[in-house]
Amino acid sequence: MSENRNLREYEQIATRLRLHVVNMVAPSGQGYVQQGLGAADIFTALYFGEANMDPANPSWEDRDRIFLTTAHNTAIFYATLGERGFFDTNLLSTYVQDGSALEINSCERMGPFVEATCGSLGQGLSVALGCAMAAKRQGKNSRYYVILGDGEMQEGQTWEAAMLAGARGLDNLCLIVDYNFVQSEGPMDQVMSLEPLNDKMQSFGFHVQDVDGNDIGALLNALAVARETKDKPAFIKANTLMGKGVSSLEGLMFHQLRFPKEVADSARAELEARLA
Amino acid sequence: MTVLSKLEAADFINRTFKPLPRSYGDALMDAALKDPRIVCLSADLTPPTETDRFRDELPERFHNVGIAEANMIGIAGGMARSGEIPFVHSFCAFVTKRCFDQITMQAAYPNLPVKIVGFLPGVATLLGVSHQAIEDVAMMRSVPNMMVFEPSGPQYHAAAVELALQHDGPVYLRMKRPEVITDDPIVQQPLTYGKGVVQREGHDLTIIAAGLEVVEALSAAEQLAADGIDAAVVDMHTIKPIDRELILDQANTTGAIVTAENHNVIGGLGSAVAEVLADAGIGLPFRRVGIQDHFCEGGTTPYLLKKFGLDSTAIIDACRDVMTRKKTER
Repeated sequence: MSENRNLREYEQIATRLRLHVVNMVAPSGQGYVQQGLGAADIFTALYFGEANMDPANPSWEDRDRIFLTTAHNTAIFYATLGERGFFDTNLLSTYVQDGSALEINSCERMGPFVEATCGSLGQGLSVALGCAMAAKRQGKNSRYYVILGDGEMQEGQTWEAAMLAGARGLDNLCLIVDYNFVQSEGPMDQVMSLEPLNDKMQSFGFHVQDVDGNDIGALLNALAVARETKDKPAFIKANTLMGKGVSSLEGLMFHQLRFPKEVADSARAELEARLA
Repeated sequence: MTVLSKLEAADFINRTFKPLPRSYGDALMDAALKDPRIVCLSADLTPPTETDRFRDELPERFHNVGIAEANMIGIAGGMARSGEIPFVHSFCAFVTKRCFDQITMQAAYPNLPVKIVGFLPGVATLLGVSHQAIEDVAMMRSVPNMMVFEPSGPQYHAAAVELALQHDGPVYLRMKRPEVITDDPIVQQPLTYGKGVVQREGHDLTIIAAGLEVVEALSAAEQLAADGIDAAVVDMHTIKPIDRELILDQANTTGAIVTAENHNVIGGLGSAVAEVLADAGIGLPFRRVGIQDHFCEGGTTPYLLKKFGLDSTAIIDACRDVMTRKKTER
């Protein structure tokens, strides 16, 4: 169930999530730390604000579904699930260890809170679309959220799914692109630009909003507007800053970041100070 | 001068221009009327996959998702996660090869009841190499959780729908529509999940066939009988899980095996039978009739079966070869 909090409380949650990300990635000395820090506010707004779910009953049939299709951005994903109460946060220390269900790419063997196995990019939107179509036929009121990576949108299947979502006017579907502007080989415009992305999504029949993806208030507002929008799927371009919340890391555009102990230690100290 | 009062759509399958039976489509409708969980997906090939009745009679459970097979598989996964049983349709080539990754991740890994139905199996189409699926069985057979069925004719299409529903997980149905209409009604016959059908008893060797090769195998067995060779014919409609018991029984009683498939000889039915024999430590005269690891071309079915060594003559040649080896290797 969603709970009412003030903005300050949401920001505290986001800081806790960022601290988990730092602690989870630090032992291996490298990983998806920049994306995790950058997306912390999206995860906070969605999991702690907008979405209707019950951690005590993760298979609850009428829950809202959140599909993380950038399935490698798992430090922030697992931190969110743990803090939201889907499992004990002690498990987070097993992240990417052999035998742990907390793999680099999230996989549904973890439990029903991983709504699909999306490590092969571009597939998750289609699955959410199928769920959204079935919900319409079955008269269910659940909402279907997809957190998509910007680079991932280069996969053609994304556009097959977007085309159908728009053509069918599926207003129970909300697509949030984590627009951090970096993909595996570097800045997105150097690999292949998606721009003008908002125009593209609008032409595909989506209701489009462009927000600061590190402004929790703006995100909550955009999610509420998306919920109230009828007869169109929603698209939220959430512009995020890689490394957000840790001053030594903000704006460093690395898909995979080397994360030496001293950098992790100072990041930890900065985040802990903010929580105190 | 002939004046056409009504023009009808052609589909490159029907050669008689009389209405083709919809044995599969009717069976799917019957199943859907009994089970409200069944939904039907098409990627803009509705009449050629016999799903036009479903489209017209159960429109709220029918989705033409456009020409987008990868998206269709993902959607089916989502629907299956929502308690539905989606049957997805296209030609074999497109509904397997084009979306193999999606099949593995969005249907097979989560073990969802996504029923993948392909038409135009193997070489049998005018439409050429782009539309020919000669690798699909090998691919689908190798996917964990996935079961593979290939009925030998429209009289088994209702049974094929039942087989698909008997497995609570993903399946691949490889179907072929009849090309010509006869006046005899098609009488639906049952099949048992995982159990091959001995269509003809025989003592000298066994032909294990699937799909349209069963008819060719029966014809070959008739012609061999005239020469005093007594061939058994097995219709292996369930390619996975394959009927190990029947294969080993036939190996023991007849001592020679020929497989016949409308598919590349690598990875399909012949490979599946060879795996069973090798795992059991059985060495015997053995031949695989099928496409010999090359691409083909479009044409009429009789032309293609002859040209690419899939007709009864090719099966007879393989049978004579194993009979010769059976005598000399003893």
